[in-house]
This record gives sequence, C-alpha cells and structure tokens, in this order.
Amino acid sequence: MGRGKSRTVTTTPSLPHFRKKLGEGARRVGVGRGLDRRATFWMLYLPPLFWLGAFFLIPLLLMFAFSFRPDMSGDFFRLWQPSFNQYSKLFATGSYWRLLGVSTWMAFAISIFSVVLSYPIAYFLAFHGRQRAGFYLVLLLVPFWTSYLLRVMAWKIMLGTEGVINSFLTYMNIIQEPLTALLYNRNAVVLTLIYVWIPFATLPILAALQRIDVSLFEAAADLGARPIHQFLRITLPLSLPGVFAAFFMVFIPTVGEYVTPLLVGGSRGSMYGNIIQDFFTKAANWPFGSAMSMVMLFGTLVLVAFATRLINLRDLLE
Amino acid sequence: MNPKRPLLYSLTILTLLLSACGTAPATEVPPDQLTGTLSVLDWAGYDQEDFWVDFKNTYPNVTVNFEIGISDADIYAKMAAGNQADVFHPYSGWLQFYVDEGLVEEIDTSKLANWDKVSDFHKKLGQINGKQYFIPWDIGFSSILYRTDKIPEGVDSWAALTDPKYAGHISMWDDGPGAVTVSSYIHGYDETAITAEQLATIKEEWVAQRDLNLFYWAGEPELQEGMRSGDVWAAYAWQGSYALLLGEGLPVAYANPKEGRNSWVGFYGIRKGTENLDLALKFLDAKLAEATGNNVVNLFYYGHSNQDVMKSVTDPMLKEAFGLNDPDILEKTNFTPNLTAEQRDAWTAMWAEVKAAP
Repeated sequence: MGRGKSRTVTTTPSLPHFRKKLGEGARRVGVGRGLDRRATFWMLYLPPLFWLGAFFLIPLLLMFAFSFRPDMSGDFFRLWQPSFNQYSKLFATGSYWRLLGVSTWMAFAISIFSVVLSYPIAYFLAFHGRQRAGFYLVLLLVPFWTSYLLRVMAWKIMLGTEGVINSFLTYMNIIQEPLTALLYNRNAVVLTLIYVWIPFATLPILAALQRIDVSLFEAAADLGARPIHQFLRITLPLSLPGVFAAFFMVFIPTVGEYVTPLLVGGSRGSMYGNIIQDFFTKAANWPFGSAMSMVMLFGTLVLVAFATRLINLRDLLE
Repeated sequence: MNPKRPLLYSLTILTLLLSACGTAPATEVPPDQLTGTLSVLDWAGYDQEDFWVDFKNTYPNVTVNFEIGISDADIYAKMAAGNQADVFHPYSGWLQFYVDEGLVEEIDTSKLANWDKVSDFHKKLGQINGKQYFIPWDIGFSSILYRTDKIPEGVDSWAALTDPKYAGHISMWDDGPGAVTVSSYIHGYDETAITAEQLATIKEEWVAQRDLNLFYWAGEPELQEGMRSGDVWAAYAWQGSYALLLGEGLPVAYANPKEGRNSWVGFYGIRKGTENLDLALKFLDAKLAEATGNNVVNLFYYGHSNQDVMKSVTDPMLKEAFGLNDPDILEKTNFTPNLTAEQRDAWTAMWAEVKAAP
C-alpha cells in the first residue's frame, strides 16, 4: 500500500482537451504553410488508395466478373453474357464443398494452436525480456530472413523417412523401419503451418501486452490478487484484442493456403487453395477458379463477420 | 539524226539507272549488326543461353527477354490473356486452342534454313488443319521410372502406377490429361474419344490410387529427390529424370511397358500479329541448329528435332534413354494427341475432383 502512495502520479490531459489542442496546432500549421487539413488528408491517403485500387480492388473485381464468364473461349477482355455456369458446376460438386469445410476446420485448428503457443512467447517478451527483449524479438523474427519455401523445405528434412526424427529414432533403436506417417499427409501440413505462423501470431499479442499499464498489476497485488488471478482478470482480458487479431491474421490466409500442402501434404493433403491454384495454372480454367475464389472469399467474410459479432470485437478493441 | 538525241538518250538511261538504284531492295543487315528485342514465353531452364546459343552467337546485338510459364495451361492462359511474347513454347496436346482462338501465326518454313533437318514425321505433329503453325523442337518419352533395388522383378505395364504392391511408394505426375493418358493405355481406351462413362471410371481409379500414391510431382527435381531418398519406387517420369539418376549411379530403370511408352514433343509458335515476325523466324531457325540441339541432348537429356543432332549421339546411356538402340521404339510408342477445349476442361476438372475427394 505504501508503495502505491509514494508513487508519483502524473496526470495526462483528458482526450477531448488534447484533441482540441492538436486541432488548433494543426490549423495553425496549415495556415502557416498554405496547406489545409483536407489537402494533407488526400496527400497522405491517395498513394495507398491508388495502390490498393489498382492492384487489389480492380483485380478482385475482374475475378468477380470472370466468375460469370461461361468459358475461356474468345477475347479475354470482351464483354460477355453473364452466366451462372461456373457457380452451378461448383454447387453440384460436393467434394469441393467438403474440401472447403476441411480447409476451414484446419485453419481454425492451426489458428488456435498458433495463438496458444505464441502467447507465452509474447508474455515472456513483454514482461520478462527486460533489456534483452529487443534481442529476443530479433531472434523471433530471424525465420523471416529466410525464404518461406526454404523454411517449409526444412520440415521435409525433419519429417522425411531419412529425416532428423526418423534417423534419431532408428539410431536409438526405438523403431526398426522409418515412420512414413510423419510426412505427406494433413498432419504434416498442420504441423508446418503452426511453425510458420507462430512468429506472426506473437507480434499482435506482444503489442497488446505491452499496452497494459503495469500499475494495474501492482494495484491488483496490493489488493491481494494472486498471480493466476492477475493473469485471468487483468492480463488475459486486456490482451484479447491482440489475441483475436493474431487469430484472424492466421485464420484468413490459412483457409486459402496452397504452398505448404503442395510441399508436405502429399496426395491426401490438398486444401481448397490447391484446387483454386490448379484451375488457374494447370487447367487454364480461370472462370471456374474465379468462382471458387469468390465462394471462399464470401465464406471467409461471413465467418469473420459472424465471429466478430459473437465476441463483440468492437467493444474489446475500445 | 537530231544532235541533241544522244544527250537525251544518255540522260534518260542515267535517270532510269538512278531510279532503279533507288527502288532496289535494301541490302540485308549483317546478322552481327542486327538489333532489336525479342520476347519469349518459355519454361524455367530454357532461358539459359545454352538453349538458344546459335541465335545468341549469330545475332549478338539482339536482346532476348524471357518470361517463364509454369505449365502448358499457364502458357496458354497467358497468351489468351493478351501476353505480348513474340515466341512461345507449348507441348503436345496443347496446340489446337492456339489455332482455334487465333493466337498463333502460320510459319513460313521457307525462311527456316534448318527446316530440312527435321523429319517429316515430326513436322506433321506441328501442323493443325494442314498448316504448319508450330515447329517441333524438344522430344521425349513418358514411362515408368523405377528403382531396380526396390522392384527387382521389374515393371512391364503402366498398371504399376496403380499396383497396391507399391503402396506408399508411387509418385504420379500432377496432371489430369496425363492421368487420362495412363488409364487409356491400361484399359485400351481410345484417348481421342474418351466417353463420360470412361472418364467416370478413370476418376474412380485415380481416387483409389491416391492411397497408394506418396505425392503428386509437379516439377522433376521433386520426383528425382523422392527417387534418390528411396521414398519413391515407381513413378510416371520423363526420360530426362531417368538419364540424370542413372548418371548419378542410382539403381533405376525406365520401363518399356507392354502398352507402349508415351511420347511428347515441345513446339515453338509465333504470336499472331507480332511486329517481330522476321526476328521470331530467325529465332526459331536458330533453335533448330546443331549447337542448340546438342545442348538439349547433353544438358537436359531430351531428344531434339534436328535429325543430325540425334544421329551424332554416341553416349550409350543417352542412346538407351532415347531408345535409339531399338529400331521398333517408334512403333511401340503412343504420341500424345491434341486436346479439344472440352476435353481439356473435363479432364482437368476430373483431376481436381480426384485431389479433392474425401
């Protein structure tokens, strides 16, 4: 209790007051340099807007338009009679829907595991890293310095029949024949993707943990809360925005993942993204590939919207 | 005689001579002074200078830019989408659509000095509707490559790729039309006229095969690594992989299946409407020349359409890989027919369903 009293309490101006000051300052700067706020706004936002519009939105709209093309014949950029041909074929093929379900379930499992495994790392960096926190963070980011493909290929060396795990087990006489179940199946895809995502998932959780005011822990301790209660009542709730950000950061790209299944998934490890890729690169059937992409995009958006509503993300973030 | 006439005649002749000089065809620019830029849509590896060395040496001041396609479908889709490559490199089966969609220029073979060195058989494979739209270039086989230490009894049928004896040690090429080809050989189907029922049977066959198959290979290095590690015992493969692994001392053999090997040919075509037609023809001609052909044989272990190149092969390992020792090899070989757009869509969709099956 005494420590609390002896603590120097600095007051910060309330937010509306602060905004008012900032606004006045900005207006003064604007008047002085002949650049008003609107001009500044457009100057800052136009380049990214143009970039996103030209290289994300227009291709996305083109893909949407392509999904209503009856087939590949004729000039690519001619106007065509919209057709539901691709969607009707897609709706009639149960195996694609099933695979979309499997991919979504895999993405869910991978996201949960990635977040659960990332949390202790982020916690350690935020509260126990001390002066070495920066160094540990660099260590965490080291894998990003190597190619994604190389990192996934490294798992082949780990899991292959002549790989590290099999060689060790054979050397120890634990097994006589190498285990073939480690590689070229869905488990290998899940294992590899969790590894790939852990550093990504750590960053938003770390950012959320670093925002927590440490005086809250001191106050909780003063009030007699044990460490587990501090964690459950303070740390975890306040870090949830980071946890959910990490979850969605992993979940959304994983639903459409195709590189990792291609390398370690084998004959039975294909995900929905692999089939989309096949229609673009192996079948020259862009209209069907586009329809599959649109269904995945729509499905993912609906799931994310449902999830954010369910957990009331806006309240959490505020 | 008018004294002025000789002068008039002389002036007239001089004028005619001068005007004749003016309309005479311009002297062709010497090859080493020819400049320009040629754009080629090709497969990874073929952008190496070894594979266009004759062109590089003859026209050192022409810039050749390569863009890489990852599959026949990718190259076709890029060309259909308006890619501006002057020259592109499709393979057997994927020629018809370029003609149907008006994407390829008919080739004036009289401008190809090396054309006579190509056999009539291979020339014909580049013809669509009786016109020479493509020149044949690299040639190879598809068959079953297997490890002789793991399968000492040998392989004599394409059915080895669906044989439960080799469960977990088979690797099939990741390609729908390729899978239809294999099933057609096994069941004796007419590959050019696969019915819906036959396609359904083929699909079931490959869905069942998935449990025996370790992985589908998309690039040859992946397959070669699988053979080296001993994980893969039998695989659909091109003879380049066989020659490479044999050269490394790996115990491998390349089957002569009773249904016959498959053979494929790579072609070069010229984009319709290219402004670089002359340069593109020169490029194609140089592609048929000997130094380039020798590099195809010695570096990639593929055959070349220039017969002089193939006649000069003396390496016993290469002779065996190309089947040059076997005078009946062509009779026992099935050449990949051209796909229609409907077959392409149906067969690739079948393969996607195989991969997506529960």
